[in-house]
Amino acid sequence: MAFNYDYYLRTEKMPTLWCWGCGDGIIMKAMIRAFAKLGWDKNDICIVSGIGCSGRFSSYIDANTVHTTHGRTVAYATGIKLANPDKHVIVVAGDGDGLAIGGNHTIHGCRRNIDLNFVLINNFIYGLTNSQVSPTTPKGMWTVTTQYGNIDPTFDPAELAIGAGATFVGRESVAEAQKLERLFVKGFQHKGFSFFDIHSNCHVNLGRKNKMAQAKQNMDWIEENLIPKAKWDKLSEEEKYELKKQGKFPRGVLYHKEEPEYCEEYYKLVDRVRGGK
Amino acid sequence: MALNVDFRLKAPENTPVWVDEAKCKSCELCVDFCPTGVLVMVPDPHNILGQMVKVAHPEYCIGCKECELECPDFCIFVAERDEYKFKKLNEVKKLKGEQ
Repeated sequence: MAFNYDYYLRTEKMPTLWCWGCGDGIIMKAMIRAFAKLGWDKNDICIVSGIGCSGRFSSYIDANTVHTTHGRTVAYATGIKLANPDKHVIVVAGDGDGLAIGGNHTIHGCRRNIDLNFVLINNFIYGLTNSQVSPTTPKGMWTVTTQYGNIDPTFDPAELAIGAGATFVGRESVAEAQKLERLFVKGFQHKGFSFFDIHSNCHVNLGRKNKMAQAKQNMDWIEENLIPKAKWDKLSEEEKYELKKQGKFPRGVLYHKEEPEYCEEYYKLVDRVRGGK
Repeated sequence: MALNVDFRLKAPENTPVWVDEAKCKSCELCVDFCPTGVLVMVPDPHNILGQMVKVAHPEYCIGCKECELECPDFCIFVAERDEYKFKKLNEVKKLKGEQ
């Protein structure tokens, strides 16, 4: 492929500030290849990111970028999308940013079905602030704030998104970069709220005390916990429940449905009210 | 709307894999993902982690691009199939004496 990423990058800011082997770089590369595949001009793309390691996305991608306050990514992106319905708005948030402090905004973005692409980088820990427990930390894991093992049940962001009304929900991991790229291509084309739950590695903060200090060990653990969608669908409800209790999740396109999009509905309303004067 | 940008990076003459050592953070992901053992880590005192990736066996490369896809730091590249004639997997096995 020898793909040249320079068109979409601010190369003067390279190398990235992320740790060695961080999955964020792999996600950024897959995202850029998806942009190239869809033929999107960089002036038509808007990247909105919050606080955390994922917040650096808006620094490295050379497009219209907004680095926003903690957890309010969807709120900013909703405003940007409503003002510029022809632009492609990509929201990048981590699990702390998108589910803990910004969980409220995320569910209401899903509910409105506004045409945003929400990329949730799920690395099971608060990486930037040095390994505190996050909503998605699996049971029994060591973190700084759960020194004797985490007792909170694991959170399933994809189920939350489906329940809240997102119309495209997918899950992939960084260990399969080509599948990730294909998922992005599918989701970015979808008109409506696209929710991507991307399982990423944080071998530096999650791995160091949980016996996966190498990036590949962390990725192998992520791969063990993902089951293909076709295999998952054949299981009974009890088996699915048991697997979810163990922290195993399906991968692939989990939900896809066409529903009225918020911007279209909004501008229809504007036309109707103006015409009725 | 089609984008008028060329995303292809030209490979150096007769090279299957090449590394941009200035950007590399030596995370070993490319070495771990390579299925045929083209890449190895060598000690390098000038690097922060004390090691650097080296293309040790370019003749084993099958052109699967796993290393390029999984590199988080934009620093390893694989040639296109029309730029370099990659070996088949069974040829590599023969070369290594596994068959």
